[in-house]
Amino acid sequence: MFDTAKRVTLVGTVTAFEWTNPHVYIELDVPGEKGAVKHWSVELGSPSILMQAGWKFSDVKVGDALTAVINPLRNGEAGGLLTQVTLKDGRVLGNGPGRGGAQ
Amino acid sequence: MSLRVAIAVLLLAAASAYGQAPLRTPTLLTPAPIDLSGVWTPYRGGRGADPSLNPPPPGPIVLKPQYAKPYEDRRAAEDAAVKRGEPLATAAVSCVPYGMPRMMAVALYPMEVIQTPRQITIITEAFSEVRRVFLNQPQLPIDEVPPGYYGHSVGRWDGDTLVVDTVGIKESVLSYQMLPHSSQMRITERIRLRTPDMLHDQITIDDPVVLEKPVVYTLAYRRMPNYKMVEFVCENNREYVDEKGAVRMRVREK
Repeated sequence: MFDTAKRVTLVGTVTAFEWTNPHVYIELDVPGEKGAVKHWSVELGSPSILMQAGWKFSDVKVGDALTAVINPLRNGEAGGLLTQVTLKDGRVLGNGPGRGGAQ
Repeated sequence: MSLRVAIAVLLLAAASAYGQAPLRTPTLLTPAPIDLSGVWTPYRGGRGADPSLNPPPPGPIVLKPQYAKPYEDRRAAEDAAVKRGEPLATAAVSCVPYGMPRMMAVALYPMEVIQTPRQITIITEAFSEVRRVFLNQPQLPIDEVPPGYYGHSVGRWDGDTLVVDTVGIKESVLSYQMLPHSSQMRITERIRLRTPDMLHDQITIDDPVVLEKPVVYTLAYRRMPNYKMVEFVCENNREYVDEKGAVRMRVREK
């Protein structure tokens, strides 16, 4: 589903941060060329796995500017699996130890 | 009739008058030799790990001939799908819990063991699965256990080892290494502390219908002393299975 050989860097603004199971999601508006905005859905591990890696449910808020590095979906849709994020306060977090979600 | 016997008869009569079973005299409970209570997480070794605490390597998987070929074919298809980067779906993609025995080690998800004199309860964090091990009771005949994800488990202490016997796992619940199984599968666990903070669970899967011989493997766990288990409600599942059996993710337009 995700192309783990590829990495895409998204610099955008958070429109939603869903601290849910089986996965956490960051919804991101990413400005492109000529002012067009493309929306991306980014999948993370589960809250349990993320917390073991230092995440908190309050680390991301709507309106935050952040940089996310993802493995994109193979089918070309605007989604991917997070590999690393740089938060508004400059902290860099990964996608948790181990494999991530419970699936 | 002595006074004591007369009182007992009266109590029995009163109990039956209310349609209740007579009260049983409490049996003396044998103290458990060790307390397994706590939160444990799968232990996979790693840098600096003490190799002497690693579990022994798993034993071979030998299926009856009629089950071996379909199993090998499916594993080959799964391996090929992983190499293509399009892993095949498992039940968990649809938020269906793992069940026994796979629930005993899901990624790095912890499990909580709550030990009481009559029951040991195991709660895993992934999918909040719950097992109940009834202590010092006879096991039920397999045919009397409604097939389910966790079956019916009874436990007893063999020295410092907790021996757990589980039957009644639904056939649709895939077993260790995605093995198929019949209604006759029996899971025997020998659970013991290797050190105060290291737990080993030796699991033996016996299935006279599917397996040529029992499969044996051991899981290891390390204690998480201050960890508080978190909830896991599978409410936001954006992954789904397409018509080819591959996992897909729903993206949002905005």
